[in-house]
Parts: sequence; C-alpha cells; structure tokens
Amino acid sequence: MAAPERSPALRCEAVRKAFGRFVAVNDVSLDVAPGEIFGLLGPNGAGKTTLIHCVAGLARQTSGRISVFGHDTVSDFRQTRRMVGLVPQEINFDPFFTPLESLLIQMGLMGVEPDRDKAEALLATFSLSSHRHAYTRHLSGGMKRRLLIAKALVHDPKLLFLDEPTAGVDVELRHELWDEVERLRAQGTTIVLTTHYIEEAQHLADRIGIIHRGRLLVVDDRDELLLRHEGRSLEQIFLSHIHGADAHAAAQ
Amino acid sequence: MNRVGLRTLFLKEVRRFSKVWGQTVLSPLITNSLYFLVFGAALGSRLRDVGGVPYIEYVVPGLIMLSMIRNSFLNTSSSLFQSKVNGTVIDILVAPLGVREILLAYVSAAVLRAVIVGCLVYGVARAFTDIGAAHPLWTFTYGAGVATAFALFGIVVALWAEKYDHLAVFPNFILTPLIFLGGVFYSITMLPAPWDLVSRLNPVLYLVNGMRYGLLGASDVAPWEAAAVLVVTLGVAGALSTALLARGYNLRA
Repeated sequence: MAAPERSPALRCEAVRKAFGRFVAVNDVSLDVAPGEIFGLLGPNGAGKTTLIHCVAGLARQTSGRISVFGHDTVSDFRQTRRMVGLVPQEINFDPFFTPLESLLIQMGLMGVEPDRDKAEALLATFSLSSHRHAYTRHLSGGMKRRLLIAKALVHDPKLLFLDEPTAGVDVELRHELWDEVERLRAQGTTIVLTTHYIEEAQHLADRIGIIHRGRLLVVDDRDELLLRHEGRSLEQIFLSHIHGADAHAAAQ
Repeated sequence: MNRVGLRTLFLKEVRRFSKVWGQTVLSPLITNSLYFLVFGAALGSRLRDVGGVPYIEYVVPGLIMLSMIRNSFLNTSSSLFQSKVNGTVIDILVAPLGVREILLAYVSAAVLRAVIVGCLVYGVARAFTDIGAAHPLWTFTYGAGVATAFALFGIVVALWAEKYDHLAVFPNFILTPLIFLGGVFYSITMLPAPWDLVSRLNPVLYLVNGMRYGLLGASDVAPWEAAAVLVVTLGVAGALSTALLARGYNLRA
C-alpha cells in the first residue's frame, strides 16, 4: 500500500492500551516528523515503553491507530517493521550465539540478506570487533548494551526507538552513544528517545514530550519549551508538569 | 512472505541444536543403544517373539517414534520458551515475520532434528538386529508427520508455559505415560480385556503402530487408522499453535 507523501515518521491517533482495568497509555495522539529526535520523558510506569512497544509490534493497542511513514502498524505490519528499529530497555542476549552471529541472524530476520561486511562494520562502530567470536554471555554490561544498539541498526531503520539506552552505563559510553545518535540524525534517521536523564533529552532532542499516567501532558519544541519557562531548567519544567498532573488527579 | 527471515530463523534453530549436539543428538543415541543392549543382548533370548517378530525388532519402531516425538517436542518448546525467558523473543516479534513463517521455521528445524535422531536410532537398531523397512516411503512420511505434530505441540506448550516447571508438565506427565502405554514395548493383543480396548483410546498407540507398520509391515492397528489419527493430531496441533501465535498469547502484551 502506497503511503501518502510527506507522511510523518510516526503518527499516533488516540492510542489507548489497557491491561484489564489498568490503562497504561491513555488517548495519546502524537506526530513525529521525519529526521527529528523526539525525547519522550516520563517517570517509571508512565507508559513510555508500552507506547513504543505498540509501535514496534511487541504490544497491540486496545484502540486507536498507529502509522509509520503512512503505513498502518497492524494492517501493514511487514512494511512498518522493516522501517522500525528498537533498542529495548532490558538487556537481552542469546547465549548460543556470538555478537557477529547475532547481527547476521538479526539481519536475516529483518528480511535483509545477511551481509558479513556490514555486520563487521557495525561491530567496529560499537567497539565490539575484538569480541566478534566471543559468546555474548561473556560480554560486559556495556558491551551487551552496544550490541543491542547494533542489532537494532542492521536493517538501516528509518525510525529508531531508543528505550532508555543509557540506563546503567558509564559516562564515557553514554557520550559515545550520544555521538552515535548525532551521527544517525545526520544520516536522516528519525529517533524517538526515552530517558530518565533529563540532560540527555535536553542535549539531544529537537522536541520533547512529557507523559505521565499514560497521558501525554505536553509536546513542544525543546528550545521553545525552555524559552517559555525562562529561567527554569528542563528538569524543573518536567517536575512541574508531573506534580501539576498529580495534583489535578488528586483533586478529581 | 519474508523468505529471508524464514530461512534465517530455520537456520538459527538448526544451529542452536547443532551447537549442543551432545545433548540433542548423542544423548538419544546412547539411550537407545542401552535399550538394544538390554532387550537384545541381555534379555533377548528370554523374551518371546511377538507375532513372529523377535522382541528386540518389535520394539524398534516404538523406540524410534519415542525419540522422534521427544526431540521434535523439545526442540520447539525449549527454544521458544528460553527465548521468552531471556527476552530474545523480541528479535522475532519486531521482525516482519508472520505466523506462517514463524511456525514453518521452528517446526521445520524440529522435524529435521527428529528425522536425524530417528535415522540414527534406526542405524543403531540395524547394528543390533536384522530389521529392514517394509514400507520406506510410508515410514519416512509418517515419522515426519508425527514429528511435525509434536513440534507444533511444543510451540503450544512454550507459549503457555510461564516457568520451567510448566515446560516439564507435557513431556513428563502426559507424553511419557501415553508413549509407554502406547504399545512401544508390547502388543495390545497381549493385554487382557478390557485393557486392550482401553489402550485404543490412547492416540499414541496409533502413532507407534503407524511406524511399526512402516518398518515391520504389520501392526496392531490398520494403516488407515494410524493415518487418520495422525491427520487429526496434526489438525489439533496446527489449529492450536496457529491460533495462539496469531493472538500473541503470552508473547505480545
């Protein structure tokens, strides 16, 4: 199915995801433009990961519609999944395979002919070349995290989700990852980043969304957001929205 | 259809069981060699023929079927369940793979493992006995069909299971009793009434005897009965696994 021209990289229309009576994502509507870095901020359990999982195919929204570059993620899932890359929050690894094998396998699963040169290049980009034949279980936490990012890039996704990619990694690696994000942005990759580190969002994101209790409280250009709340840091703005929403919920 | 993805997932599953060949291939080989030593060299002269067939030959089809069923079931169930537990199932869920490709890849790899093990057990049996193959094409097709059904049941159990204990329920408490009471080691003609008739309620009896017909040319049930039970078993396993996978049962939130 042909996508309309100038489609947003990601469009969520009234997306709702409920687990029984618990509503994890509540009526979220959002557009992310091609080529931008969108920072999705929210406290634990806000619904960030659930929303991302609905886009990537790890969860199904209860209602609402999600499209990636104009293609519906349910009816046209093969097309959207070829365009989406996901770096999950939790580290996972297959104990049977080495980093090189893992990348080649992931390429194939994504429908791309396994290409050893490309896999080697990704290993080099993420400083994993010397561990290409090691069992993944023997890698350090930081290396496993880098391997997850490399796996998400094997098919050159147009839309990349980084779900707290720097959680628990040291400062050096965090800055390396930021550089990699900047490089991907320069290549035109659209990136949706969730993070607990406000300075990370402030450093990388073009636009910021704040989600709390499943609801998207605010979506704004980073610079305009800071300008509008002159004299306040992004962390202070974030907290004021969260506390405001909590007070509103308590009053109701 | 994502042909590259299907091929990759199939090869990944084959490499997974190849990497632990001692556990997946060598282990059933040793177990069955022990059966043949016990029933052949040690007890063979004391055991009566069954329907004119030496006892050691009579048990061969059942032992082959036992190995094929266990290996096909364990291949899909352990692989899919482990990927659920260690989180790598995400790699498949985010890929542009439909239910058909996922099932076909997992089941094909499991059937390949079962056929390899079945051939090896047959090879060992040939070393200990004079067994041939009365209907080779039937034997191969029937064995692969049964392996397909139990590979599909493996998918169902892996989807349902939430802890390792659950994974053991089907092979230990359902499959093993059905196999051992399914005429692997005896003919139901040896059983007193009403147990010969009760045994006929056990579907595995038909599957074991289907293989027995293929190798020995004779069995406790008619070939069409064995074929019918296989078709029904395949239908149930296929429908259940397809429905659960399509729903993303215990996979997708």
